[in-house]
Amino acid sequence: MIPGDLGNRVAVQLFRRLPWLGEAWARRRRVVEADFVPWAPMAKPVRESVIALVTTAGVHRRADPAFDMTDPDGDPGFRVIPVDAPPAEVRITHKYYDHSAADRDLNVVLPVDRLRELAAAGLVGGVAPRSYSFMGHVDGAHVRTLMETTAPEVARRLHADGAEAVVLTPA
Amino acid sequence: MGLVQRAIETTGLPTIGITLQREITRRVRPPRALYLRYPFGHPMGEAFATAQQRTILVDALRALESVSVPGTILEPGYRWRRHRFA
Repeated sequence: MIPGDLGNRVAVQLFRRLPWLGEAWARRRRVVEADFVPWAPMAKPVRESVIALVTTAGVHRRADPAFDMTDPDGDPGFRVIPVDAPPAEVRITHKYYDHSAADRDLNVVLPVDRLRELAAAGLVGGVAPRSYSFMGHVDGAHVRTLMETTAPEVARRLHADGAEAVVLTPA
Repeated sequence: MGLVQRAIETTGLPTIGITLQREITRRVRPPRALYLRYPFGHPMGEAFATAQQRTILVDALRALESVSVPGTILEPGYRWRRHRFA
């Protein structure tokens, strides 16, 4: 094991056990600061709307390529996860957070089962046929790829899927 | 994640994002956010905690209807491993 990887693993465990550490880290982190807030109003109530899920937790089907963990700036691509994909066919590739809980129960980061239950109960109009996952932790030149190419492509697909609102979950 | 959320909202799709990092969310400014003081890797709570996951998801969906001020960050205040979900 290389020292850098060991250091990362120690950090991952510290962030898991000490929630406030994440806030301390966030205060120092460089982010893209925004000067306006985009806004799209709900066209109709949630109970009549098709809801889609998008996550940045590095979820992907086992049959698809894993996210690139060798590039320190991350992987700006996305993966498609059908909402009826069996749990055994879905996995998480992400070394920058502890996904042991999500490995046991995907709903910890991608609440597909909870959303389908709400739809069955009539509290949600419908569930979009596909979820989309990014890996988060995207930095450097990949931020531009994410913002100009892959995130808009996912938005186009969400519209094509009939989604009327989106719930996003981080890692 | 806020950047992806903003990109989607910009195309006319309403979005709500769970966040575990309030300070970053304040700066990235997504349209609607639900902040939980939970450890990384647990945006919906704990494994197999169905009531907890459902409550958080319902909170998020309600925010789609209730939030009228762009940039709002809701804070339900569920304490990690302390709050009892029914």
